[in-house]
Amino acid sequence: MSTDAATRRRVSKRLIIALGILFVAAIPFLTPSSYIHNVLILTFLLAVLGSGWNVISGLTGYVSLGHSAFIGVGAYTAGILAERWDISPFIVAPLGGVAAALIALLLSLTTRRTRGVAFVIVSYAMLELLGLITRNWSSLTGGSQGLLMPLPDWDVRFHNWPFYYALLALLLLSLAMTAAIRRSKFGLGLVAIRDDEDKAAGIGVVTPVYKGLAFMASAVLVGVAGAIYGYYVSFLTVSTMFDIVLSMQVVLAVLLGGRATVWGPVLGAFIVVPLAEVTNTSIGGVDAGAWRLIMFGGLLLLVTLALPKGIIPSVGQLLEKRRRGEASSLTGARLADTTLPPAPASERAAAGQGRSTDVLRVEDVTVQFGGVKALDEASLVVPAGSITALIGPNGSGKTTLFNVIDGTYPPAQGDVVLAGQSLAKLDRTGRAFAGIGRTYQLPRLFNSLTVVENVAAVNSRPHNRIGSLRRLAHSSVSGAEAARATELLEFVGLGEYVDAKATDLSYGQRKLVELAQMLMLDPEVILLDEPAAGINPTLLQRLSELVRALNATGRTFVIVEHDMHFVLSLADRATVLARGKVIAAGDPNEVSTDPAVLEAYLGDDFVLETAVITDEDATIGPRS
Amino acid sequence: MTLLVQTVILGLLVGGVYALMSSGFSLVFGVMRIINLAHGAMIVLAAFLTWWVWDRTGLDPLLIGVLVTPVMYGVGWLLYKTVVARVHKADHELAMVATFGVAIAAGGVMSLIWGTEVRSATPGYFNTSIELGSLVIPRAQLYAFVGALAILGALYALLRGTFLGRAIRASSTNRDSAALVGVDVERTMAQMFAIGAATTGFGGAALSVIYQFVPDSHYVWIGRILCVVILGGLGSLLGAALGAAILGLGEALTASYIDTRWATAVPYVLIIAILLIRPQGILGGRLRTDGVHP
Repeated sequence: MSTDAATRRRVSKRLIIALGILFVAAIPFLTPSSYIHNVLILTFLLAVLGSGWNVISGLTGYVSLGHSAFIGVGAYTAGILAERWDISPFIVAPLGGVAAALIALLLSLTTRRTRGVAFVIVSYAMLELLGLITRNWSSLTGGSQGLLMPLPDWDVRFHNWPFYYALLALLLLSLAMTAAIRRSKFGLGLVAIRDDEDKAAGIGVVTPVYKGLAFMASAVLVGVAGAIYGYYVSFLTVSTMFDIVLSMQVVLAVLLGGRATVWGPVLGAFIVVPLAEVTNTSIGGVDAGAWRLIMFGGLLLLVTLALPKGIIPSVGQLLEKRRRGEASSLTGARLADTTLPPAPASERAAAGQGRSTDVLRVEDVTVQFGGVKALDEASLVVPAGSITALIGPNGSGKTTLFNVIDGTYPPAQGDVVLAGQSLAKLDRTGRAFAGIGRTYQLPRLFNSLTVVENVAAVNSRPHNRIGSLRRLAHSSVSGAEAARATELLEFVGLGEYVDAKATDLSYGQRKLVELAQMLMLDPEVILLDEPAAGINPTLLQRLSELVRALNATGRTFVIVEHDMHFVLSLADRATVLARGKVIAAGDPNEVSTDPAVLEAYLGDDFVLETAVITDEDATIGPRS
Repeated sequence: MTLLVQTVILGLLVGGVYALMSSGFSLVFGVMRIINLAHGAMIVLAAFLTWWVWDRTGLDPLLIGVLVTPVMYGVGWLLYKTVVARVHKADHELAMVATFGVAIAAGGVMSLIWGTEVRSATPGYFNTSIELGSLVIPRAQLYAFVGALAILGALYALLRGTFLGRAIRASSTNRDSAALVGVDVERTMAQMFAIGAATTGFGGAALSVIYQFVPDSHYVWIGRILCVVILGGLGSLLGAALGAAILGLGEALTASYIDTRWATAVPYVLIIAILLIRPQGILGGRLRTDGVHP
């Protein structure tokens, strides 16, 4: 694909968008039909709502069934204030947005401990509860009597135009916002949260901050739109303003158009609203409402079953396939047999130079799962600049120890100390910033991101001040962050794959991407969980070289591994776990001949046999 | 004091009915990890069927509930074959959205058939009660409670004592292993889902006697059911019973001591509160999830 063609496509796409906007903006002048104006106003409303929903449910992965609550909050806030202060609802509409954003911030607090289906339930409960509060708090809201909005104060010649243009402007603003979020480092973090929230927290994505901002972004413009919509319908009732069916329509519209795309909500709204209007006029009468429910419920079911990706992504995939033709993918290409480029320097290691103490100490940690002691007063000492091996039979507690160090499990007893500071009070993200980085036995990448985005999503420093939040606005695909990510990927040997999808990589390559993420995070200690498992000998060789080269720049490693040859040839210290207890620690060669270690690995019978074989034979070789 | 005891009694009686209504939902979640938002619509459907037969024949509504049970079993079977078996493969949130689509469409169908007037079955014992000293025990609530407990007991015996029950529990622990030892997982799932739906038969009948309802009532009922199972811990039958008692008590106490208008808010407040404080529910245990991720 030549960049020339890409530029041409981009220009023509922009031209089409500009013409489309012009056309929609000109419609009030082209047709006097208030029916068409009304349909478009409702379409804009649903599209604004959809764009908002898309930020938390499409990008961030928190599916909300209660998003229309923000319409209600915005409408009632503006309605009440307009009445109290006797001013136009247009003037107080932004306050409706503020109120919606505040409620959204509260909602984001529930996501500290709930995700997945539990959040869907919370969002539904929020909608119903807010509706009930509005209905019961009748002194403020008019309760079931409803709330009358002031009459429009402009010349009748202007018809509904102020509503039309205000909602159109909000829609354009919503689209610009979604596009900006998608291009930013913030957007990368949101997608990372959707794909794997725990992993995201472990690479410095401050999930509460990201989610709080995303939730507010998803509600603020919806709140403003709600205020304008309330003014437009001129009479607020709980059942129209906190409408569960509207919440369902927005889910339908965005799923139909395409989740996590900029234009999906617009396309969906332009399908759903006209459809609703057509059925309304063609059926009419008391049954119209019932038929509408059947149609929309059925459509929602159909879309989730038959077109879960949505129109825009599906069409995009088809076009992409046709454009690429038979071009071979890079996947499976052999690892280029080149010499290793110089290892990137580590700021952290440079800052800690000359510190000869133990950088990481795990002190008498106990972890219990029901009746099983996964770790029993286990301790681990990691000298700065060392490569420490953590070995032991399956189920001996190695990965559990990693999970204690990175904050996944709170230990029942004991402490983890990094560079003299206890980590007990820090969560995963706090530990990532303090200097703990880890990879996983089965690599955990963000599957909807490209390789370079996977690395660029990493945050190496906390957002201590409000000003540092500006970093979130950085572009995800250009600029210093992406350049650094590309450099690190070149170092681990994935230079050709920067723009590949994470899902297109082989198992071994995914491990290398995780290593690059760790280099981007630049922690004090890098914990590698079975880096050698399931990868081919060439890659294993490369991995050894990488770890050695990185260690030479002052980086500290802890490696959990079953491939003894690999790990003991690298390590300058080894700790052996068995049944949650540390049974040996010290020089790798001594540890590997320790009778207690051999017994733990091979059982009592083997120990009897070792008595008759020479010491040299009794070292543990690589397990095949 | 009498008011308190009276309130507690009423709350517990209603709680028994909630427990039955939630049991099928909880069973389906425990085995398939699917939040079936159409469960509320199934309960309201059963209520309409009961009301409709009662209106025509004048039979006892709770007795009709027993007749509606096999009908709901069939509805559940159909829903499983047409929808649930398919959405099972989608991600959990999408599967939930799909069942929500079913609920909404079902609401429309019920409005078409039975209209949107407020309904309720009023047998002879409706609004009569047994008096124990100064305490009043309404007969409808009492009979519904006893019936609900009997059906819950039967469900428990079914899950514990029969081959089907063992197959369901095996499939819920590990689908693949269950298939390996000769359980027809797909068939077991369909039967399990249909049994879950069948529990709404008597649940809906109880609803039709104790409460007034319209097609849109399913939104309220799914709210109550979600509250019950979240309180108890998703997937735990015993927890659901406990959650049901708490919700019944909470609503009754709120209605007696604060305002009946706020009683309807109790389920939603409890949902949000419990998910903020103890997301695993009261009895739900935390599963060990390793660094190893599928």
